[in-house]
Amino acid sequence: MSDAERLLVVEDLATTFETATGPLAAVGGVSLTLDKNETLGIVGESGSGKTVLARTIMGLQPRTNVTVTGSVLLNGHQMVGVSEAEKRKYWGTEVAMVFQDPMTSLNPVMRVGRQIDEALRVRLGMSKEDARARAVELLELVGIPSPQRRYRAYPGQLSGGMRQRVVIATALACSPQLLMADEPTTGLDVTIQAQILNLIDELKERLHMSVVLITHDLGVVATRTSRIIVMYAGRVVETGSTRDIFHGHRMPYTRALLESSPKVTSPSHTRLSAIPGRPPNLSRLPAGCSFAPRCAYATARCHEERPELRAAGPGHDFACWNPLAATGARPA
Amino acid sequence: MSETRTPLLQVRDLAVTFGKGRHAVSAVAGVSFDVFAGETLGLVGESGCGKSTTGKALMKIVTPSRGTIDLEGVEITRLKGRDLRNARTRMQMIFQDPISSLNPRRRVKDIVAEPLDCWKKVTGDERSAIVSKLLNEVGIDPFVYGNRYARQFSGGQCQRISIARSLAMRPKMLICDEMVSALDVSVQAQILNLLADLKAEYGLTLLFIAHDLAVVKNVSDRVAVMYLGKICEVGPSDVLYEAPAHPYTKFLLGAALEADPDAPTHGDVLEGEPPSPIDPPSGCRFRTRCPLAQERCAAEEPILGDIAPGHQVACHFPLIARTA
Repeated sequence: MSDAERLLVVEDLATTFETATGPLAAVGGVSLTLDKNETLGIVGESGSGKTVLARTIMGLQPRTNVTVTGSVLLNGHQMVGVSEAEKRKYWGTEVAMVFQDPMTSLNPVMRVGRQIDEALRVRLGMSKEDARARAVELLELVGIPSPQRRYRAYPGQLSGGMRQRVVIATALACSPQLLMADEPTTGLDVTIQAQILNLIDELKERLHMSVVLITHDLGVVATRTSRIIVMYAGRVVETGSTRDIFHGHRMPYTRALLESSPKVTSPSHTRLSAIPGRPPNLSRLPAGCSFAPRCAYATARCHEERPELRAAGPGHDFACWNPLAATGARPA
Repeated sequence: MSETRTPLLQVRDLAVTFGKGRHAVSAVAGVSFDVFAGETLGLVGESGCGKSTTGKALMKIVTPSRGTIDLEGVEITRLKGRDLRNARTRMQMIFQDPISSLNPRRRVKDIVAEPLDCWKKVTGDERSAIVSKLLNEVGIDPFVYGNRYARQFSGGQCQRISIARSLAMRPKMLICDEMVSALDVSVQAQILNLLADLKAEYGLTLLFIAHDLAVVKNVSDRVAVMYLGKICEVGPSDVLYEAPAHPYTKFLLGAALEADPDAPTHGDVLEGEPPSPIDPPSGCRFRTRCPLAQERCAAEEPILGDIAPGHQVACHFPLIARTA
């Protein structure tokens, strides 16, 4: 893939928060790339750093008590270490974000239409009438019935699924090239979740966007992404094509994550293989592999030396000293 | 499922209405089901379908407006005062948010001992022995953690503490309302396995309320599907997931995401959203979203009836052939 096709290049990105108990490495050196028209999944449990990673790529970190190092090149523009005014130029038009909670990402005392055309008027300098017409179009685009009427609704008058559609419409207002969706369907019912994920898929094709889909739910990324990044304790532990991750994973954590979630297709009362313990405290990370204390295959080396990402195949990397065999069946 | 087994819990025509007159919302609009001793009944449905309200009505946290609840042969809807409190020791509830269901300023051992303290039936030594045993069983070391405060624990550990507390009175039945939905998958698996172990050890009967279809199938012997305040299908979990009889069940299962890139791409997606329970559709409540709906569905409400042994459906045009 030529560089012209690369929309996003992230190199060694690290986000460290200053806390009362010392520095907390929420993201500890992540590199990734995203091509045009590609959907990338970022998977991890809570506290794995996936949301902080997304917000750091956007440049949405708090102003104080945070250190960001590394590089984020979005369409060739550096997003790290630049002023907010500089970043603001790219928000909306180059990159936009859909947040998890549609209740709190909309202003409850502002009509939804206003929240969409605000971006159009401020960023694109549209007139009030044009912005309104465009906002109604956007509401229609995201599948909201009777968009003219809904334009005047307050968020509280809409259901959770409808609100998430409005949030997507605001994100799409200035035609971004990259849509970052952070847990866009968490908290929605399964039938509504399917509708929203299909909508994002459809819009991606129609508007030629790239999408980063961040989730804790492997079911969400299984059929909708071309590549997946698995995060644990602020680092990438495995990355590869969706097929590599599901069927050819090498990192024991990836397998543990896959096997610990119950499946609709397995018979009832199937014993789940739980991962013992819980994710490490990010301000006191173990010296070696962060997953070693919970890993069934950990050896002395795992506790002492941190494994770096190494290649398993084209586009497939993992960080592990004792990887599973290439079929994902047994430890090698 | 043999119908000769004795139901531990028998619910008949249970309804819960909030508000009055024009603004009345019937959150639960007449549900009937049995939970047999030793089994797990899963109650699944989308938000607003009334599954949590059903659970709360069984505990009488909300007052049922109609219907009867028989627990071990005792009708509990009319019970008051001491009799009601007695009945409640037989049935305990575990809530969704583990952190807010524990008092952050109390010590873990006191939280677990609270039911014992209320009933004052044990001596101090027995009390600490019971608390230590319960905490050990849920995987929390009572000597290390017993004196810590609830606020010092993670969500998964708080849920373990909630489970220990709910078992203190040795109940027959546990109502688990979305008890793992706030937890990460790795912790969720630990809690589900723990629940299975404790169920066997204590001979518990469970009503497991959740929206996650895969989780419900994993823990349940039988599953009841709710839509807009009514039960639309009940059956053995493996049968119901394999060959659903109600169109809504089929759509619900079709929308469940399988963690498999080769999973058949999503079947038909259900359009629209559930109608408001303030003004439910006439006849079958699902008919406004059902692709198979005909005139009869609007005119006549389908009654939950047998379609196969142990498998009931409330639909005029079920998806499988009637064998019972």
